[in-house]
Amino acid sequence: MRLRQTFLVGLLLVSFVASGTVSAVPKERSVHVGFKETKLKNGLRVITVEDHSAPVIAISITYNVGSRNERQGRTGFAHLFEHMMFKGSENVGTGEHFYLIFNNGGNMNGTTNEDRTNYFEALPANQLDLALYLEADRMRSLVISKANLDNQRNAVQEERRQGVDNQPYGKSGEVQQELIYDNFAYKHTTIGSMEDLNAASVEDVASFFKMYYAPNNAVLTLVGDFNTSEALKKIKQSFESIPQQPTPPPVDMTEPEQKAERRASVDDGLARAPQVDIAFKAVPGNTADFYALQVLSASLQSGQSSRLYQTLVKDKQLVTNVGGFMDEKRGTGALYISATLKQGGKPADVEAAIYAEIAKLQKEGIADWELQKAKNTTRRNFINGLQSSLSRAVSIGQYTVYYNDPNLINTRLDKVTAVTKADVQRVADKYLTAANRTVVTTMPKPKGAATAAK
Amino acid sequence: MKNYSKFKRSLVAALVTLAFASTSVIAQRSGAPPQTGQSVVGADIKGRAPVNKEILKVKLPKAQEATLSNGLRVVLLENHRVPTFSMQMVVMSGGLADPSNYHGLATFTAALLREGTATRKSKDIAEQIDTLGATLNAGAGISTFTTTVTTAGLVENFDPTLDIFSDVIRNPKFPQEEVDKYKQRQIAQMQFQRSIPQFLAAERFQRAIYGDHPAGMIVPPMDSIKRITSADLAGFHSANYRPNNAMLAIVGDVTLKEIMPKLERAFGDWQKADVPMTKIPAAPNQGPMRIQLIDRPGSVQTVLQLGNLGIERTNQDYFAVLVMNQILGGGPAARLFLNLREKNGYTYGAYSNFGGSKFRGTVTSSSEVRTDVTEGAMKEFMYELKRIRDEKVTPVELENAKRAIVGNFALSLEQPNALLQNIVTQKLYDMPADYWDTYPAMVAKITAEDVQAAAQKYVSLSNLQIVAVGDASKARDVLAKYGAVEVYDADGAAIPEGKKPTQ
Repeated sequence: MRLRQTFLVGLLLVSFVASGTVSAVPKERSVHVGFKETKLKNGLRVITVEDHSAPVIAISITYNVGSRNERQGRTGFAHLFEHMMFKGSENVGTGEHFYLIFNNGGNMNGTTNEDRTNYFEALPANQLDLALYLEADRMRSLVISKANLDNQRNAVQEERRQGVDNQPYGKSGEVQQELIYDNFAYKHTTIGSMEDLNAASVEDVASFFKMYYAPNNAVLTLVGDFNTSEALKKIKQSFESIPQQPTPPPVDMTEPEQKAERRASVDDGLARAPQVDIAFKAVPGNTADFYALQVLSASLQSGQSSRLYQTLVKDKQLVTNVGGFMDEKRGTGALYISATLKQGGKPADVEAAIYAEIAKLQKEGIADWELQKAKNTTRRNFINGLQSSLSRAVSIGQYTVYYNDPNLINTRLDKVTAVTKADVQRVADKYLTAANRTVVTTMPKPKGAATAAK
Repeated sequence: MKNYSKFKRSLVAALVTLAFASTSVIAQRSGAPPQTGQSVVGADIKGRAPVNKEILKVKLPKAQEATLSNGLRVVLLENHRVPTFSMQMVVMSGGLADPSNYHGLATFTAALLREGTATRKSKDIAEQIDTLGATLNAGAGISTFTTTVTTAGLVENFDPTLDIFSDVIRNPKFPQEEVDKYKQRQIAQMQFQRSIPQFLAAERFQRAIYGDHPAGMIVPPMDSIKRITSADLAGFHSANYRPNNAMLAIVGDVTLKEIMPKLERAFGDWQKADVPMTKIPAAPNQGPMRIQLIDRPGSVQTVLQLGNLGIERTNQDYFAVLVMNQILGGGPAARLFLNLREKNGYTYGAYSNFGGSKFRGTVTSSSEVRTDVTEGAMKEFMYELKRIRDEKVTPVELENAKRAIVGNFALSLEQPNALLQNIVTQKLYDMPADYWDTYPAMVAKITAEDVQAAAQKYVSLSNLQIVAVGDASKARDVLAKYGAVEVYDADGAAIPEGKKPTQ
């Protein structure tokens, strides 16, 4: 019920706030997303953003389940399950979901990561009923068959081959993730292993559906060109009779402190040049240290002005590419750095150069312009993310499932703006240590020695 | 860290893009919606979900146009939804303006624009742009007729962003030291690219279609990289980067009145000069079918790309090819995806694509399939290519394709950059001013006969160029069923017949 007056005014309350004391300084406009939150009797959380600026509606259903909920021997299952959600329900045939969305001018997808699974579509505004019908029908009555499971198992295994097994450095990320974490929740990849994908059964699909795909374990976000009270009425009609299920068991996300550096090396028959992948174990997302680490990462490795680009690519000419990011997770995330060397380059030289830059940052801190860079870049990305109804629907759904805070879409920018240079130096000292890092070096394997596909 | 998706497609990959916000929404009567119980290969259509039969009609915002005192054309699409802007300088010379013995010159010139100006070093430009939270990119392809320099930023930083943007366009110095570093980066980058199977497939395919035409190359040749000098770049820049040979296109939260004096200050005294017209080389005639296999030891998939020469962007068959492509492989609801993935489980995705410039583009189909189903995938590709030629598409398929294309216009209203691109396209190809207004009607006119005629004209099995990248020891015999197979290694060297490819 909150923010009622806000959404009546429209999505983006654009107002002027003076950002400086000198009159010549340009004014920054603040943007705000007004939303209304409703909870259905069966526990489904519904968040609506009414916005008539384009004849578009976007819906996202974010389920509170990801690969962190998988058990040993079933890695890859949450994502395989996601594919099954397109293979039909009581009133929607196999493949009919995307057939109808695309053939009516829409876009859609489903995505899975460690911490959540989401399903979303954007459509011309006159197809709201279609979107609600499709999402409700599969939440209510997924059809599970062996033939469909086998078909999507094939598709997912090809997805794995295309993204991992047939690409240079594909295995390296997987090796790294398994090495960084001790807790099984994150100690395996979302795509999973071929063996575990082969082991998945229709019984697994049925029990996973019952446990996790319940209305009380999901958030529905609807953004765009509709009337809120009419849309809410339709949402209730479509979803409210879907039975609630017991709350899924919580996942233990405890991650023990890392005490010493971890290392692995990979011989890669598809690579032509060495690669170094470094991860520093850090903190969960949406924490003060997380935002400080994001600013740190921007200084270190975002864009051509970054310290690592200038040093490794331009000055020393050791690498063809360097970059990375602070990973946002509900549990413990990490700051990743990846550098692809020139052919014949030595990983040890590159590692040493990266650590020297980190040491410099720890000693001297970052410059004013680097702080400004992080803030302005975050602001522009945030604002661009508001352009489409779909990206707003997806973001709000994710913030709600991750942090129980749909309003994070409005406050997140302030959290980055609050970061100081001292914060950056402090988190650099605290997290970017030798004991905290996991390093994977990849070396090209000589020709003729083919990689064994897993 | 990684997000796995149902489809490997961008979130909002609009097929076509049209209008922008503040539209009047008028319902328009369209043809029959999908019918109940229809039989679709790879999908089961129950027809119970409520589909609105109307296609939302959206109205186009008009771009404003102006000219600076030196003749530079300015096109502005106002968009006050969020406080950002982006602008692009389109220089009407690209790789097609390269000397015939120096492919890549336009590409190098664009790539080095931000590596130093009369008053800013490379590092200064990087720091200043990043501090503003802006982006700045420049690019020209080997076979493009334009070079594009693009910047995007926060509207409160419009002035300083414009200052850097105009500086790199007007005053680049191409410092020799930066040129040397760029060469080294490019040489290393080209080694890296050769490990990517999709790169190898695209490179070989373009060569198969275009031969020695500039479009036959997707990266500059090594001899060009080795010979580039600062003087060459400065020469290309001086000859081509001129206000009378350019257009400035802007979209965002600005008004014409507000920005014209700023643009005049930034570009008004940019000197005109005679720029030779770029000659557009025609694409060569299609050669006979060839099958080229690139041996990539260790591959667990075969990357397949099959196709023919297509159409120029302004060809009268454009709308027929558009609809034909939509039905054949324009997305997950198209024949290739439904057959190869949903029915057969061979792949994560299978699609077709087409494109065209001032010379003829291509019509291609592609997929990545696990090695041991290369045979089945080839069979289904050939079946679908033959079917789209031999049989008329069904009324339902035709209607669906049109609904998909026209219906997607509504979504494009939230993509200002794509809208701007449409306006630029209309200008670059001298299309009628109402081109995008009449687009839905042009799509609506296409008949099943038109689609079949387009397929028969642009999907030629006897001229089909087939490129495969994978494990040659397994794929060679499968491909040999369709004709003689030429085998190459990843560096482009032919592996003679009889010599066993790597295990």
